[in-house]
Amino acid sequence: MLEILIYLLALAVGAGFIGAISGLGGGVFIVPGLVILAHMPMKVAVGASLISVVATSAGASVAFVRDGWTNLKVAMVLECATVTGAVIGAYLAGVVPTVVLELLFAAMMLQSAYFSMTRRGDDILTRGDPLAERLELSGEVPDLSGNTVHYEVVNVPQGGALMVVAGLMSGLLGIGSGALKVTAMDYIMHLPLKVSSATSNFMIGVTAGAGALVFLARGDVATTIAAPVAIGVTAGALAGSRVLPHLRVESLRTVFVIILLLIAAEMGWRALSGI
Amino acid sequence: MPKHEEDRILREWTPILLRSILIVAMLVLGAGLVLTYTFAPDYYVERYQAAQHGHLIGKETIGRLFDGVRQGNPHAVLTIGLFVLTLVPLARVAFCFVLFIRERDYTYVALTAYVLAGLIVGVLVGNVG
Repeated sequence: MLEILIYLLALAVGAGFIGAISGLGGGVFIVPGLVILAHMPMKVAVGASLISVVATSAGASVAFVRDGWTNLKVAMVLECATVTGAVIGAYLAGVVPTVVLELLFAAMMLQSAYFSMTRRGDDILTRGDPLAERLELSGEVPDLSGNTVHYEVVNVPQGGALMVVAGLMSGLLGIGSGALKVTAMDYIMHLPLKVSSATSNFMIGVTAGAGALVFLARGDVATTIAAPVAIGVTAGALAGSRVLPHLRVESLRTVFVIILLLIAAEMGWRALSGI
Repeated sequence: MPKHEEDRILREWTPILLRSILIVAMLVLGAGLVLTYTFAPDYYVERYQAAQHGHLIGKETIGRLFDGVRQGNPHAVLTIGLFVLTLVPLARVAFCFVLFIRERDYTYVALTAYVLAGLIVGVLVGNVG
């Protein structure tokens, strides 16, 4: 037993660590880790991953919320969209054929790789649209010189629509869909990148939690796998977030993109060859 | 309650809530694994191999799980630990819901009520799915 436990813990610590320093979350790495390295069926990997993603989201959110990076109101508005998608996705995960899940996973890895390559600087708006103003979604962040910068928010319905897709993918594939969430908030709703990342991480808890509850209530979680994975991913993510300020993440970006492309190729190949 | 006061309460209490439930969940999961390693290592290997073939234990009632915890059943302890973990987002949204009711911010009461309902529907969908 000890060998298996150490293997799962090591796998999860690694996935949590890379997930934290790449900003993509542990789920992106734990699902292929369990499928490819631990020979688990996709459904078992998705259930274990969803639960561990709840843990990493909570762990990382503590500092982000306290320090004011998370826009709590944006999170609460968009969670309505992600929770809807997540419940539908987790329900469908029980009936959708594995080959479709693996192909979708490969597609999501490609989207994450594209997102990692094309991240750009902030485009801060000084005027929001009427819906965002009514929902009081604007916020403030410190800039590099320590001054406070006020930002406004636009395109809430369009961002919400992409969030339904992010939730759907999360429930289906056991990932946080962080890359899609940040795309919605940063590119479409024009929140600053760091606020988008912190808010996405915060929302991932609810998105993955909704999916995890479906899996748990259905009895589709292998507790002997999910327990060490949740502990390992949390430890890895905490270590990653401690190391992150001292790393030159920009120089690691190519490594992350290569890892994502390799995972996409492997999962796509598994789906197409029926492994 | 002024807006900045509501924001202060959210920023002060949300991390405490998240961290507290996370610690409890990790302790229960850790205890479940120690229990398994001490009393049922063969059971663990058996369940691991079954999972590799897609064979899971299936649905359990809450009553049976708590009975299992009383009898020191490692599977029951681990399952309870995982349920506690999924309470993290549920508790956080419930906290916001109560705060917005107190503040009579009905737009956000409705939004958080929808998210809470979604999480509860998740359990129901899982039970009938």
